[in-house]
Amino acid sequence: MNAHLEISNLVKKFGGLTATNNMSFDVARGESVGLIGPNGAGKTTVFSLIMGEHRQNSGSISFDGTELTTLPTHQRINRGISRTYQVPRPFSEMDVRGNIRVGLMPNSIWQMLTKRYDPDRELELALSVGFAESDLDKAPSELSMGDLRKLELARTLATNPEMILLDEVFAGLTVGEIAQITDLLQQKREAGMSMVIVSHDLRSLQPLIDRAVAITYGSVVAEGKYDDVIADEAVRSAYLGL
Amino acid sequence: MISKPLLRSLIIWAIFIIGMLLLPKIFALLGFSKGNLRTLIQACYLAIFAMSWDFISGRTGYISFGHPFLVGIGAYTTAILSYRFDVPVMYSIPIAVIVTMIGGTLFFLPALRIKGSYFALVTLAFMELMYQLVQVIRPDLTGGTRGISGIETLTRGAVNGYYLAVSLMLVIAFVLWAILKTRIGTALSAIAMNEESVKGSGLSTTKLKLFAFMVSACVAGIGGAFLAHYNGSIAPRALFDINFLFTIIVAALIGGSSTIIGPMIGAFFLTLLLEKLRPWLPGAERYFVYGGIALLLYMYQPKGLYAIFWQVVDRFRTRRGGQS
Ligand SMILES: Nc1ncnc2c1ncn2[C@@H]1O[C@H](COP(=O)(O)OP(=O)(O)OP(=O)(O)O)[C@@H](O)[C@H]1O
Ligand SMILES: [Mg+2]
Repeated sequence: MNAHLEISNLVKKFGGLTATNNMSFDVARGESVGLIGPNGAGKTTVFSLIMGEHRQNSGSISFDGTELTTLPTHQRINRGISRTYQVPRPFSEMDVRGNIRVGLMPNSIWQMLTKRYDPDRELELALSVGFAESDLDKAPSELSMGDLRKLELARTLATNPEMILLDEVFAGLTVGEIAQITDLLQQKREAGMSMVIVSHDLRSLQPLIDRAVAITYGSVVAEGKYDDVIADEAVRSAYLGL
Repeated sequence: MISKPLLRSLIIWAIFIIGMLLLPKIFALLGFSKGNLRTLIQACYLAIFAMSWDFISGRTGYISFGHPFLVGIGAYTTAILSYRFDVPVMYSIPIAVIVTMIGGTLFFLPALRIKGSYFALVTLAFMELMYQLVQVIRPDLTGGTRGISGIETLTRGAVNGYYLAVSLMLVIAFVLWAILKTRIGTALSAIAMNEESVKGSGLSTTKLKLFAFMVSACVAGIGGAFLAHYNGSIAPRALFDINFLFTIIVAALIGGSSTIIGPMIGAFFLTLLLEKLRPWLPGAERYFVYGGIALLLYMYQPKGLYAIFWQVVDRFRTRRGGQS
């Protein structure tokens, strides 16, 4: 079987620091993978490499059999892969609607000039991630962490991805917000979307994933069923401090 | 159907256009001299340059310190073609605009890699380089340090000159406004707020920035070319000058960056102000004054005169609303 996303031997160095060290793992189509590891393990870095926000020193990233390495970020997104940021990055002077609008834009100057935005699509997307209609003209500065994460998610989903990479989706959320986002992600899973989810909140993560990949110091130390990975010696010592 | 905000914008446009076209009549009634009209013509061209600057810098946040470079390409190209090679103006000006847009792509290259003050400095270097180059490369064409004079003029008399300049300004303003009303406007401002997230939304920021630079260069080229034909001369020392650069930037900033009307208001305000100050401050000290004004205004209302205008209107409205 051909992997949907195939990461092999990724090495990324920031000066003297090796953030990913020969990291390899695959994600099958429709699969949901939990990426876990202690702070500084390289989880966010591998997302940035997959999206082309950083370029790896060596190793390859292929998506549906196409090597992504030389492609700029927007082309990777247009191929169907999209991410959220651990620290939400909204357009600070645009309201929720405006932020979603940018996510929905086609990458074509001509279409931007000639076709109007679609307010219904914007509303639909906002509602789908759990916003209320009255939230649409709120500025990012008025939003809670939970709402900012919803906005990240909305902008990511706006690009119509086949695979999403979610970086700490649950951090800073209330129990209610976690339940809301979990529901949404379960729906997406059922609809066949592939995902890689990074989370320190293992209890929220567990029901959302088919498989776990544990990394420390930029390398995969265990992968497989969630329970097995969590029980793994190396993972316990590095991650759980046991 | 026309939406309410759009209707409001269109009404403002109509009032503004009529006001601009009537300005010479009003000036005549008030007994101003032709000299004042010439000042207004300079203001129109300054407004064009300020709008051009704002299209890049006010929107995407890539601060250009090199706009005189673009203006200069437009001015020199049409001047050399028409004065040295007798090319008719109806060809030399469009060619000048195209050449300026090509120059705009050069200008754009650093924006692929660098941001912020580095970008500003590199564009400043473009301006300096151009100043040096016109003296060294083919001074027989460029006229070296003395520049070119005796360039064919397009209009006779200040009134006609004004109508040409103001029409150019208004058409450019309207086209830019219409462009920025589309999703392009939203995308360009998004670049200023967070370029990474624009990329993360699946958009090529390279393409968007290139578009913004092309439009900006086109406008600067039109302004530069027509200004050369209005003045009938080009003086490189005044053109590739840091004071000229700052006048463009300050006009956009004090009028209201990221709006279309703002740079125009700023250009008129600044030009008239500098003119009024001339009797007292004949030299370059005048530029300190506008530096000071820009600073004060920036502290009070960073969004500029246009925003202050709306503050006043809103205050007036709420007061009246409170009484009734
Ligand atoms: N742009 C950068 N420049 C220099 N070092 C970086 C950069 N980004 C990440 N690093 C370093 O690379 C290592 C991996 O960081 P990364 O953010 O990928 O970890 P993480 O697994 O996402 O951690 P966390 O759980 O804290 O989010 C860290 O030591 C970090 O300091
Ligand atoms: Mg991280």
